[in-house]
Amino acid sequence: MDAHSVQLLTDRESSRQPLSVLVGNPNVGKSVIFGLLTGRYVVVSNYPGTTVEVATGHATFGKEKNVLIDTPGVNTLVPMSEDEKVTRDILFNPRLRAVIQIADAKNLQRALVVTLQLAEMGLPVVLALNMHDEAKSRGVSIDAKGLSEFLGVEVVTTVATQKRGIEKLARAAASPGVPGFSVSYADSIERASEDIFALLPETLISKRYIALTVLSGDSSVLGQVAGLGAESRARIVGIANRLQSSYGEPVGYLINRRRISVIERALSQVMVKREGTSRGWAGRLGMLTMHGVWGLPFAAGIVWLMYQLVGRFGAGVLVDFFEGTLFGEYINTFLAQVVEKTVPWEFVRDLLVGHYGVVTMGLTYAIGIVLPIVATFFFAFGILEDSGYLPRLAIMSNRLFKSMGLSGKAILPIVLGLGCATMATLTARVMPTLKERIIVTLLLALAVPCSAQLGVIMGMLGGLSPVAALIWFAVILGVMFLAGALAARVIPGRSSDFLLEIPPLRVPQVGNLLAKTGARIEWYLREALWIFVLGTLVLFLLDRAGALGLIERAAAPVVVRLLSLPSEATEAFIVGFLRRDYGAAGLFMLARRGAMDPVQIVVSLVTITLFIPCFANLLMIIKERGVKVAAWMVVFIVPFSFLVGGVLNFVLRRLKVL
Amino acid sequence: MENERIEEMLELLWTLKEAGQDSLEAALEKSEDEAPKEVFDALVSQDLATVRDGKVSLSSAAEKRAREIVRRCRLAETLLAQVLDLEDRDVRDTACKFEHVLSSRVTESICTFLGHPPVCPHGKPIPRGPCCLRAETQMRPLVSRLTDMDLGAEVSIVFIAPVQHETLDRLGGFGVVPGRTLRVHQKRPSFVIQVGETTVALDEEIAREIFVKNA
Repeated sequence: MDAHSVQLLTDRESSRQPLSVLVGNPNVGKSVIFGLLTGRYVVVSNYPGTTVEVATGHATFGKEKNVLIDTPGVNTLVPMSEDEKVTRDILFNPRLRAVIQIADAKNLQRALVVTLQLAEMGLPVVLALNMHDEAKSRGVSIDAKGLSEFLGVEVVTTVATQKRGIEKLARAAASPGVPGFSVSYADSIERASEDIFALLPETLISKRYIALTVLSGDSSVLGQVAGLGAESRARIVGIANRLQSSYGEPVGYLINRRRISVIERALSQVMVKREGTSRGWAGRLGMLTMHGVWGLPFAAGIVWLMYQLVGRFGAGVLVDFFEGTLFGEYINTFLAQVVEKTVPWEFVRDLLVGHYGVVTMGLTYAIGIVLPIVATFFFAFGILEDSGYLPRLAIMSNRLFKSMGLSGKAILPIVLGLGCATMATLTARVMPTLKERIIVTLLLALAVPCSAQLGVIMGMLGGLSPVAALIWFAVILGVMFLAGALAARVIPGRSSDFLLEIPPLRVPQVGNLLAKTGARIEWYLREALWIFVLGTLVLFLLDRAGALGLIERAAAPVVVRLLSLPSEATEAFIVGFLRRDYGAAGLFMLARRGAMDPVQIVVSLVTITLFIPCFANLLMIIKERGVKVAAWMVVFIVPFSFLVGGVLNFVLRRLKVL
Repeated sequence: MENERIEEMLELLWTLKEAGQDSLEAALEKSEDEAPKEVFDALVSQDLATVRDGKVSLSSAAEKRAREIVRRCRLAETLLAQVLDLEDRDVRDTACKFEHVLSSRVTESICTFLGHPPVCPHGKPIPRGPCCLRAETQMRPLVSRLTDMDLGAEVSIVFIAPVQHETLDRLGGFGVVPGRTLRVHQKRPSFVIQVGETTVALDEEIAREIFVKNA
């Protein structure tokens, strides 16, 4: 993606306005300040070609209207993650007028590493010292004026959650200044960077930044330099490699160390820290939630709350209303009457409102059942994300994931997978190595049921003894560990080290939470709705052509003999491919009719949970991991799920525990 | 007279005396200097040594200086042999050069790094320095792995052993670099450290490669 053509707000007025950008470390309150500066009309979208969410809106600085972009949190502008790359690319935009850097006032050192890099990029900056109140209560006092003189840019103190200092920040953003703050590095680094200078053509981006970035080991930045010949490029990379080979440590690390030591010295002039201040209740709670023993009841409590919110409220109360009342009693009945009167062809009538009707089955399903479940899940997941709890869960589960060739970081896509495996497959990108991404993708496709499916499964297991639920849970968990451990051995490549920043626990901001949930629901509707419609169409046509019965007969040896299930269950597996929950719902209907005994119910649920991922998920796997990996996964998962089901069927019938 | 020749002679006299020999004749014979008599005369003229009945005795200032030279030499030998695994020949030659250039601060650091070793690789005693005396009351090596520190310990990072480049970069991004102070917050189920206002969770394998000393 060419950074210069990035256009996140596409209307014509916006494309003429100058661009301002919010930049800062993760968890410094950027989104809250963004909300305060932009007001209501905000577009949250994925940055082109990535999964990184970027919010765009309008803000007025002085008298000038600006497009304001909220970038993902960064620790450095030498990108080490997709987030950091997106932020860096946005900063390359030639229309950029001002960078508003948000700093956590009590963690200024890390903020200034970014400020220094912005200075090296030659960009105009204003600095906001946010969470000024927290810093004060933690005994940190900052001489903002002294800092401003040292950096050569305006420094504003803010408390975003109380809306303090925001107007002042908006005024300051009208006249940003390029920081006059620079660092000289070791002689050999400076010499190498001068050699690179000489090879660079005239560019909009500062040459010093480009040189230092290349020396830090990121030569991808050269792709952003227009008019750089292949020969010069090769020579520049050669200079960087030569310099690196003369050091035992990565040059980027040496540069970073030098930055930090210069900043520490500068900070000692403008910042005073008193010892022995209390951490407050949030700090103490934050520590408890990652404790080896006390963290466990917290984790259990949170799972229980999630279940109450998603399983009980979402899948129970809301689904009853949407599917039972809204669609069941009003929309479908009304539409059926309208179609009956206005459409003369029976084929079209059935297509719309028949047994496999696009409206009566497809839309009812997508909006009546799945939407309420997914929406409450996204809301609950948003709370987990914004409160800073998820990384703590990663600490608790790190050892568990290690046995599967992963690290605690994998908890993020796996938990998200309990909401929607398709979306979670996309976020497998947070895993640092390819091997880990493949394993996460496999586990999501194989053993992690999505919230909609989980809702239906819970409903069915609820009607049986607790032992049945326990068997289902134990088998799924066992399969997950077995498959993970096997995959860790079979799949080549390396696992990454577990290294994760733990943000402080915070009370989520409701506005922020709603905006995020809204954006994800919109994503769900855009991605999933058409698949429901398409899926229903396929079923409808298969049914009309009489193919459903053929497939059922063909699958009988497996479904009927191996799993001892009624032959109609095949239909559930077919639609299960279209939507996982769709399949579970088919089984649900069978169970309700009394067509299955407890063993059949448990076996069928285990099989459908493990069975191939839904159509949307499969498309996502192909998109993210390629056709080859996706094909291997299907080849492994389909026979494997029936095998596990078959073994379970055999064992349960022998043991007679149900 | 060059300092180095004087120091070599002092070292020789000291080690001979350590072995129970104090005759001038033996010293002049064993010296590797081109003109040992010349060096010895310089010692005498600087009031560093006196001769009586063919036996040499060192002044107390010379004694102290010689002790330090020997200490530097044997510490250097230990460092080269035990930490860097050099061949014995290289150890002797290099240590011979080191003993003339190491400052007292560097010597202390090496001694502490090695855990105040009592003997050199050849089994000869290493003269004690002030840091060894301090260590005897504290009994703690200066540099240890982060994983060996107690919970709640405030330590400063001395160096980070070469882990993957990427890990080093990411640690740097969190401000985990040599010279900074950190606190060990918890060890299980994962290692959690606090650097300034940043809390970082990491694998025990990474924590093991971070070498720290008490802040």
